[in-house]
Amino acid sequence: MKKQLIKNIAILFFVGLLILYAGLYRIFFKEVDMIKTPAEIRISSEHLVASFLANEPLANNRYVEKVIEVQGIIDEITYLNDRYTVFLQGGDKWSCLMCDMQPDQIEKVKKLKPGQKVLLKGICKGFLKDAILLNCVLLNQKINE
Amino acid sequence: MNKTITLILILIVRIGCAQEPDQYITRQGQASFFSYTSVENIQATNNQVLSIIDLSKKEIAVSMLMRAFVFEKSLMEEHFNESYIESDIYPKATFQGQIQDFDPSINGEQTRIVKGQLTIHGVTRETEIKTKIEKTGRTYVLSGDFELRIKDYEIKVPPILARNIAKTISVTFSFKYIPYEK
Repeated sequence: MKKQLIKNIAILFFVGLLILYAGLYRIFFKEVDMIKTPAEIRISSEHLVASFLANEPLANNRYVEKVIEVQGIIDEITYLNDRYTVFLQGGDKWSCLMCDMQPDQIEKVKKLKPGQKVLLKGICKGFLKDAILLNCVLLNQKINE
Repeated sequence: MNKTITLILILIVRIGCAQEPDQYITRQGQASFFSYTSVENIQATNNQVLSIIDLSKKEIAVSMLMRAFVFEKSLMEEHFNESYIESDIYPKATFQGQIQDFDPSINGEQTRIVKGQLTIHGVTRETEIKTKIEKTGRTYVLSGDFELRIKDYEIKVPPILARNIAKTISVTFSFKYIPYEK
């Protein structure tokens, strides 16, 4: 009886440790699972870029660090520093939406072409010459070809 | 006849030269910083650095979003943006400077000093950075490294974390520029 109790306590302790480790790992190390994270804002790439061009401080307050779902037309795709970046048209000759793709998106990104309409999701970081979205994932590879 | 051909050749060369833009741009420059201490090593990279060089004026301008630095641990990123750099108040780091003795026509490699003002955390300081410049065809690559003291930029670290953050941070950068067609 006593042995069984000790065994149960040991199992509970071990399970508790596992839960604690998983929790700490999630907090300290694991990246955000962008596919599962719901978007807080849905917007077109043109509208997002226009918001930053019109009033950057206001757009910073509204969009920075938010998970944003964006629809737009691909202007360019680049591969630099081991990273794929999809540029969506910004409705302005000089500014685009720069989407830094997550490494697990590589195979999907390789199939994309300029001019294609796509839907993707990422975390908005702000605006330089272009609006910047990190941790991007494709939601629908081909909306309209 | 020979004079005409010579004149045409001169014009072609001049037109060719005129088509070379003065400004070159990168929107995907890479900047990283490293903090080494006996307690832990911290590294973060920004792959979306914007920079423009003006070849005729030998000027360089750099701008980057502090929130675009990616860390290995999300908690570090949170501390960096919210406690140390205060990214909501100071969202960008910038550098404006002059490339000393720079000859844009030299193909291959040259090492030059870039002198200018570096602004981080709202604090601007005169800075000199030794920079390697490589010209290949119509691209320029500027790369180098330097160190900065966090105290110089009024970045405050809580005493409890003082042993985790180095007093001097190593910074590396690599920017590949292409012609900026306006």
